[in-house]
Amino acid sequence: MRQDRIGFLFLTPALIAVVLFYLLPVVMTAVFAFTNMSTSTGIRGGDYMLTEGSLRDLREQGLNEATLSHLADAGYVVDAEGLAALAEAFGAPLAERVEAALGGQSFATGRDLERALRDLRAPEIRMTRDRKRAADLFQRSVLNIRHDTAAALAADLSAAGIPQSEQDPIVEVAYTGWSWTTRNFELLLSLPSTARYAINTLIYVALTLVIFNVGLGLFLAISTFYLPERTAATFRAIWFMPRILPPVLYVLMWKWLMWDNGFLASALAPFGVERINWMMHSEYHAWVAVILINGVVGASFGMIIFASAIKAIPQTMLLASEVDGATRWQQVRFIILPQMRWPILFVTAYQTLSLLASFEYILLSTGGGPGSATEVWAMAAFRTALNNYGGNLQYGMGATFALVLVIIGTALSLLYLRFFNFQALLAKPRIER
Amino acid sequence: MQEQRAPNARHWPLIAGLVALSAPLVVMYLYQVIDTVTTTPPGSIIPDGVTLGHWRFLAGPLSEGGPSVWSLAGNTLVFATCTALVVTSVSVTAAYALSRLNMPGRGFFLGGLIVLHAFPTITLIVAVFLILQYMGLYDTLTGVILVKVAFELPFGIWIMKGFYDSVPWEIEMAGVTDGADRFTVWRLLVLPQVQPGLAALLIFSFLSGWSEFILPLVLAPANAPQVLATYLAGIIADDRFADFSLFKAVSIFYALPVLAIYMIFQKKLMNIYGGGTKG
Amino acid sequence: MTKRLLSATALCSVLAATATAQTYEIRVWSGGSSEADSYRWEAIEMAADILEREAAIRGEEITISIEYMWEFGGWAEFKQAVTLAAEAGDAPEIVVTSHLDIAPWSQAGYIVPVEDYLDLDAWPLSDVYPNLMDIAAFNGVQWGIPQDAESRPFFFWRDHMRAIGYSDAEIDALPEAVLAGEYTLQNVLEDATRAVEMGLVEEGMGFSPRVSNGPDYAQFYQSFGGELYDPESGKLVLDRAAMTEFYQFFVDAVAAGVTSRTHIGTDWNEWYADVANGNAAMWHGGTWHYGRYLSEGNEDFFGTVAFTLIPAGGTEAGRANTITHPLVYLVTDQGDDDVQNIAAQLVEIATEPRINTLHAIKSAHLAVAESQSSVPLYAQDPWADAATSVLLPHANSQPNHPDYGVYSEAMWSGLESAWTGVQTPEEAVAELEAELVSVLGDKLIVR
Repeated sequence: MRQDRIGFLFLTPALIAVVLFYLLPVVMTAVFAFTNMSTSTGIRGGDYMLTEGSLRDLREQGLNEATLSHLADAGYVVDAEGLAALAEAFGAPLAERVEAALGGQSFATGRDLERALRDLRAPEIRMTRDRKRAADLFQRSVLNIRHDTAAALAADLSAAGIPQSEQDPIVEVAYTGWSWTTRNFELLLSLPSTARYAINTLIYVALTLVIFNVGLGLFLAISTFYLPERTAATFRAIWFMPRILPPVLYVLMWKWLMWDNGFLASALAPFGVERINWMMHSEYHAWVAVILINGVVGASFGMIIFASAIKAIPQTMLLASEVDGATRWQQVRFIILPQMRWPILFVTAYQTLSLLASFEYILLSTGGGPGSATEVWAMAAFRTALNNYGGNLQYGMGATFALVLVIIGTALSLLYLRFFNFQALLAKPRIER
Repeated sequence: MQEQRAPNARHWPLIAGLVALSAPLVVMYLYQVIDTVTTTPPGSIIPDGVTLGHWRFLAGPLSEGGPSVWSLAGNTLVFATCTALVVTSVSVTAAYALSRLNMPGRGFFLGGLIVLHAFPTITLIVAVFLILQYMGLYDTLTGVILVKVAFELPFGIWIMKGFYDSVPWEIEMAGVTDGADRFTVWRLLVLPQVQPGLAALLIFSFLSGWSEFILPLVLAPANAPQVLATYLAGIIADDRFADFSLFKAVSIFYALPVLAIYMIFQKKLMNIYGGGTKG
Repeated sequence: MTKRLLSATALCSVLAATATAQTYEIRVWSGGSSEADSYRWEAIEMAADILEREAAIRGEEITISIEYMWEFGGWAEFKQAVTLAAEAGDAPEIVVTSHLDIAPWSQAGYIVPVEDYLDLDAWPLSDVYPNLMDIAAFNGVQWGIPQDAESRPFFFWRDHMRAIGYSDAEIDALPEAVLAGEYTLQNVLEDATRAVEMGLVEEGMGFSPRVSNGPDYAQFYQSFGGELYDPESGKLVLDRAAMTEFYQFFVDAVAAGVTSRTHIGTDWNEWYADVANGNAAMWHGGTWHYGRYLSEGNEDFFGTVAFTLIPAGGTEAGRANTITHPLVYLVTDQGDDDVQNIAAQLVEIATEPRINTLHAIKSAHLAVAESQSSVPLYAQDPWADAATSVLLPHANSQPNHPDYGVYSEAMWSGLESAWTGVQTPEEAVAELEAELVSVLGDKLIVR
């Protein structure tokens, strides 16, 4: 069918975008949520490297002391094997000189051997880089060498004389990458901070939604409806601006209004009000600021939706009520508000989801503070995974936060779909039979 | 009500209420402009002098080796324009398919669209980073544009679908009866009908691109692809400049295109939500 | 035909010429830096020039172009940018960052040990203070080279101290009194309260701490006897009593009206202006703030300000201390040994005393090497001289541990909660403990 082909052709670019930047990320996030990925482990998977730290861990795990000290003390040995390699790389004369001076000796660290080699003053290894290359040929310790695979490390361990039977725990400890775990979910349930983020999110969404997106939105829509067009347009413009102003700028205006030496503090100072940072003075101040800043943006959304819904109310109904002598309030109460039921539900449904996922304004204003008093779930996900002072990015834990949000968001949208009579949206195209 | 008339006595209480409610916003807007050309002693709200010094960033970088606002504005313009063009062109076809073409899985796609509409995308950013990295587009403007486009698409398709839905079927019927195929019908008959939607979406996605902050911050941190939003946030966070007037001057510079677009397209912008909420 | 042959030959010779002239593009990203820290990357530019000249004398032709970046918005954005760039295989060749990043970044394989490229026994590295070299090492491997040193002392405004009854001699003797544990944080509270009560400073300005998260705060934990790390077992340590007392101190300061409840998040500039001009009686801050005090209009620093270690908490276990948090040069893994070698060479040259001194003095940091005290620029600087001798011998550092980031982040949010009154110190410590125990598991010792 020709229509089908056009249909899919038309949809393809959008589908590609959705697959690449929604589906795939969701799948990956779900996968990450079951890992302990962090800055230390990296994302791509790890290597195998034994360090002093791993030896400590192994000791704690009860690896036998002989093996431990074998691993720790292997160091550098000027042996026949190394000398042969040296002869090949730098020529026989150097190998002979090294053998004569240092043959059979062991060195705890590469640095010690390099010192000894330096003292030889051999021309072949005068350059630091050559000397290091020469010293490396004698390394018998497997410490601090990155191996790409477990097999490579195991081979080195075998070469160093560690019995096969003891290699497994060593290889496991040496792994630098991430591993599968369900601990993130356990942490999510047990950490006091996650409960706080959840409660914060609830407060944030509920208050912003009820007071501003719906409450103030309705008030603005209805009040401007009753005003002459010019006056109404002015007020709508004032309230619409926050929506289109870049968030960075918009929050800057609020900061200027609220900081210690800002407008509010300066304007109130003559009345004996103490100069405080109105945005951050206490958790309550911060909450008021967060809800105001988000709410004013949200109110414009409600205002526009409600205004267009009011416009759709038949003029005759309103005129008739005026003829009947209804007061403004009665008009609002008995004609306008009943017509607002669906728009209100729509705004509530849609904005619940938007608010759940949004944190940009909070990040820019209070930054989640003071304490983590205004830190919401989505922001915790962002901060945990990507943005904190210590630079300790916990991708796995952050993904767990994100996954919860994705599940809640999807569930809510599906619920709304049922609720908002999805079939109406699906009105069958009329051209095809 | 609708008819034009001067504010009469009945309106004053309402207007007074609205004025009181709007006062903080108006104060912020006014000072946003005033502060950029005046000096104000600390702890006061009344300016005591006029200066153009806050606009020094126009002449050259604020700090040695820092980026110039002009190149940042260029980046931002490229970013916003590309976002707008791609979002609009992808939405305009996809929305037509969803609104008008009977194809298998249409219900599923529509449902999916609604789910994606308010998706917590930003929390997926680590995965998005990885995908960009595999595509070799991390830390490039192109990469950020792609992601921004993807994040704007559900909204764009939704809006366009609303506009398509309101095009009378008769127009297409007429075309099809005349023997034209659906593509021709779309191009010649339907597309002109949704032009207001196209314009609105273009403007809206341009503004959205112009404002975007977190995506460039995370996905393009190096100097080259920086945009005005990250730059402004950067100087605000930078403790060398504690100068709200400077911030405000930079942000006015940043907001000028937004204001211009608003002045010109006011009606269209307000309408876009109307178009998007039918159903 | 001949023409084509000719142009082909010409092309070949051009290719040959470029093959011998090695070109390196080295990017330097510097975290937590401002313009005053420009020698963090300018030193690398100078080093590139020297390295090119040295190569030319040897008859090699190398060209090194340096690209630098330092405006990231903050530490969080900087570290995110470096980490993601490294993940993407596109990390800058040289990174100037906190020594605390060595542990996670070395495990992740983002960086290569400088000891693989540099002779640590040769000048100039042999001259770098051994304790600083240790701070740039992890698991016995020298991963980085210290770029600067600093510490975060306690400051007193002399006039205010005089006004509340200290004689000049007593003020001058404060460093010893603090060191000996005779002047403690409890005295700080008392004196700050007096300064506020006498109206010398405004309420909330008796003691004006750092306005944001930073290593400074671990100092107060140490003041109450807390330890961050157990070198024996390689584990992080949470000392409940010390942590609670440390939180309590800030809660007490708020209760006494000497510190503002909403001090955290104060604008840095405002803070600088206040402490540089006697609007605060006491404060703590970085040694590098010295430069800023001068530019804030304080022309007589030594006549107006006294500085000491962070006083002991006044409890039995407490001790006076200060933390040094050196930045380090790290060389990232580029998968190309030659590039890494050049980057390491540049870092080595940048560490030479004269060059590092440029940074030390311009940014009011402290020297990383012994012989810098013989460089005239350094020797003639009163602050560098005084700070080095009073503070550095007693400075310790935070541990290089892959999980220290989690630890310090949690410690900070606990402090913030207690300070702002969201939780009591006991509640905050309990939550901190729960958080750390479940996240760090057996990598943590709770005392």
